[in-house]
Amino acid sequence: MPADDRHGAQARRPARDTRKPGMSTNLKVTLGILAVALLGVIGLAVVNRDSGTTPVVASDTLVRADSHRLSTAPDGRVTIVEFLDFECESCLAAYPGVEKLRAEYGDRITYVVRYFPIPSHPNAFNAAHAAEAAARQGKFEAMYKKLFDNATVWGHKEEPQVAVFEGYAREMGLDLARYRADVAGAEVAARVKADAADGAALGVQGTPTFFVNGVRYDGLPTYDDLKAVVEKSLSS
Amino acid sequence: MSVALTEETPADADAGAVLSDRLVGWVLTVGGLVGALAAFVLTVEKTALLKNPAYVPSCSINPVLSCGSIMSTGQAEAFGFANPLIGLVTFPVVAATGAAVLGRVRLPRWWWLALQAGAVFGVGFVHWLFFQSLYRIGALCPYCMVVWVVMVVLFTYTTLYNLDRGHLPAPRRPVDALVRVHSAVPTLWLLILAVLIGVQFWHYWRTLL
Repeated sequence: MPADDRHGAQARRPARDTRKPGMSTNLKVTLGILAVALLGVIGLAVVNRDSGTTPVVASDTLVRADSHRLSTAPDGRVTIVEFLDFECESCLAAYPGVEKLRAEYGDRITYVVRYFPIPSHPNAFNAAHAAEAAARQGKFEAMYKKLFDNATVWGHKEEPQVAVFEGYAREMGLDLARYRADVAGAEVAARVKADAADGAALGVQGTPTFFVNGVRYDGLPTYDDLKAVVEKSLSS
Repeated sequence: MSVALTEETPADADAGAVLSDRLVGWVLTVGGLVGALAAFVLTVEKTALLKNPAYVPSCSINPVLSCGSIMSTGQAEAFGFANPLIGLVTFPVVAATGAAVLGRVRLPRWWWLALQAGAVFGVGFVHWLFFQSLYRIGALCPYCMVVWVVMVVLFTYTTLYNLDRGHLPAPRRPVDALVRVHSAVPTLWLLILAVLIGVQFWHYWRTLL
């Protein structure tokens, strides 16, 4: 149709000469805009590829003294750090594989979970605060599991899910008064923010982002692929 | 070339115009049909979702591209009924208008003004939905995005046509300038929307790269 119409416009132009060459100007401007946009996208992709090859990162930023360890390997040969958001679908998709891996390797690997709530997810911060409040009563892992196991119940809802999380705290037998104070407290909020700030400093841009022995893991977060990396690190 | 000349010139009142009746007729026809189809699919999906709350719509591809989560929000029924019903009854009118223009029917000024009013409402509503989708719900629904694109294109061409043909009063010079780059207008407009989407869901796109 457009090509056809251009012929029409050109054919008709001599009949009425009052206008400047219309269709060709229009086409040029439109294609020009599209070309600029395309260049922008390509540029962005190239910049991203380059920043993708990050070497070993600073270990003190990667795992803090107060970072939550789901398991600790005495030999310290393999340390996996996962920056996650409880409301991120990719994290939820990775979760079963991670749990299988943790069950299989247990204390042969150190597994560290760090908060990286994504602001566009309505309850990402609430969920992280719930996990951190539970952590203050020694129940981080239980809340971590509870949040992921029930992610389809509370995830992607606009309304705050604070009451739902409190229900989980009750089910887990936490001291509710203390939980309520913690979850709304400035300390817990600051702790979650500090994790996210560490992540940002390490170049984390999305979730889940894994680091294996200080090197960002850029493969797929599937059980098989993660296991391959763990095996390699254990045998080296 | 010469064949086209003899065929087009006698009947076409606007021969030589950049924004020909034929072009606008096609835009309205195709835009109206595509919009109607998207509204129809959304209505069908919505019905399926109402029948079975566990139904996963065909457009729920991943966490960001998902209409299931969007369809169940309050914004999906902005006026107390399902939004796609609006498109279902209005887009066919747009398509019929386009077909009439292609058939060289001379439509009265009030018809064009009514179409303009509908286009203004549609494009305004679509941008409200865009805002809700991006900044309140945090997900995108592919069929809805088809409607966004269609609405921006239809609004641009309806408005430019009405300005060019004097249905809407406006100084000639800026109108001519805009008409001369008519397809650049919706292109730039949609690119800005695309950039906003890219920025808002950057965290998500990043994990896909």
